Amino acid sequence: MKLAFALAAATIFGTGAYLLLHRDLVRVVLGVVLISQAAVLTLVASGLTRGAAPIYPLTERDVSDPLSQAMALTAIVIGLGVTALLLVLVLRVVQAFASREIDDVAHDEAERDAALERVHAREHEDEEAAAR
Amino acid sequence: MTALALAMVIPWAAGIVLALLDGRRRLVGWLAVAVLAANLAALVVLAADVFGNGPVEEVTGDWPTGVGITLRADALGALFAVLSSSALLAATIHEVLDGVRDRVFPGVVVLLGAGLTGVFLTGDVFDFYVFFELSMAAGYILATYGGTRRELGAALIFTTVNLLGTFVFLLSVAGLYHVTGTLDMARAAARVADVDPNAAILIAVGFFAAFSVKLGLFPFHFWLPTVYTGARPAVAAILSGGLANIGAYGLLRFGGELLPDELALASTALIVIGCASIVYGGLLAVSRRTSTEMLAYSAIGQVGYVLVAIGVGGPVGFAAAILYAVVNALNKTLLFLTVEMRGAIVGAVFALGALSVAGVPPAAGFVGKLELFRAAVGSPAVLALFFAGSALSFVYVFQIYQYDFWRGERTGARSGRPQQALFGVLALVVLGLGVWPEPLLALSHDAAAVLAGSSG
Repeated sequence: MKLAFALAAATIFGTGAYLLLHRDLVRVVLGVVLISQAAVLTLVASGLTRGAAPIYPLTERDVSDPLSQAMALTAIVIGLGVTALLLVLVLRVVQAFASREIDDVAHDEAERDAALERVHAREHEDEEAAAR
Repeated sequence: MTALALAMVIPWAAGIVLALLDGRRRLVGWLAVAVLAANLAALVVLAADVFGNGPVEEVTGDWPTGVGITLRADALGALFAVLSSSALLAATIHEVLDGVRDRVFPGVVVLLGAGLTGVFLTGDVFDFYVFFELSMAAGYILATYGGTRRELGAALIFTTVNLLGTFVFLLSVAGLYHVTGTLDMARAAARVADVDPNAAILIAVGFFAAFSVKLGLFPFHFWLPTVYTGARPAVAAILSGGLANIGAYGLLRFGGELLPDELALASTALIVIGCASIVYGGLLAVSRRTSTEMLAYSAIGQVGYVLVAIGVGGPVGFAAAILYAVVNALNKTLLFLTVEMRGAIVGAVFALGALSVAGVPPAAGFVGKLELFRAAVGSPAVLALFFAGSALSFVYVFQIYQYDFWRGERTGARSGRPQQALFGVLALVVLGLGVWPEPLLALSHDAAAVLAGSSG
């Protein structure tokens, strides 16, 4: 069972990492979602025990580990929250850049750097001229 | 006990209310400042109690110990909580004086304060993750503050990279629970010695990667310059002076307390990575001509010193790491806030911050560097590198000082009286800790004793 969980989590993480490296922002979001699911699966697997449902009052039989279930639930809720946040962020980026490619965002930044560089190069030339 | 509960509840409850109000109104901004001040006051009371009478511990919800989530304020956590809360307070006052531009800003900063307080005061690994994610989520929203293409692009990178980091952290939490069977930090630390070393090393690597991404150490730094230069000054100050503390604290707490054997094993690797950070950050900062870019690369270099000190380890190394993390957070808060401001007072404050970054007396940075040299005194190579790094930082900060203040290339508004007063207070703190370093030295040694005590 542990092996099955480990393989499943590894596959999901790998797929998520692959999607994360895509240029399309929506795929990047999906990659993050998959990676969060891999983490949830690992949380479930971290406390795999057989037993009765751990509901109070406890029965005489051994109960299964409630902690990993609580952690998995919390992680799912947090994952939902941050995914919603990330989607809104992507939406705003798409609106601002009129594109959903990460390349356009990077291009914008590169252009800004190049413009700054030009200004500094000009200042530097002026200084050199003044020194002469 | 009550100070511990108050410090957590005040910003959490107030943050939810403030998030609903329109933060652009001055009153809401000042309310947020008042809440952060109350949070800081509660934390200072708590810290005084902790430093005087030892750790304060509380189990939430009246559960028996071992079932409920433990909140634990020890010297290390209290010190970082006070530090982060002060940085948030200073940055918020600055932004409110400047005029808040976005309706969610005050609410989100207060929620970030709640998250940071929780991170530093929890004694439970999974609870740490929850507060970590709460602080980070607030950080993601803050990174978009301003809302132009520049901030949005930076926020996108920040969010994606750091989400990956927190999920790696969560994977390690799952691993730690699996091998120790507990989420309580103290009990996990006691049981981790019997764990299969291979499993423990894998878990430690996960924690290290997660916190390094947060700190922006050399191989994990790629997101940092874009974000720090893209964000507004107050946000950059919050991210570098408040949020980045999670990285240093996490490395100390998880490395020094929970996984001390693995930390000792990785000592050389940590020192090498830290040195690479120092050199990389220093060299790139020298090549920059604007203060934000210089500060962003300087941030990468400065955390390298913290990592080297953690790698050296032992009471002296941990104390140096804590002290330098505190001093660095103060420097970065001060310097990032002065960006986009002009005037003689701003120039003087910048010069003092610059002295502190370079490690020149009488600023607090000197004490930090002195402790680092003391920690690294055994290895001449590291000492030489510290010296080279300090020389580089002297060059890059004063190069920018020349450009900005002697040639008058600094753009931005002239600072008003209230802003000058804020800078003055921050500068006095940096100066005061440099002139009279005894209290801070004692605090950092107390905080390091928490770690050294549990590992040895």
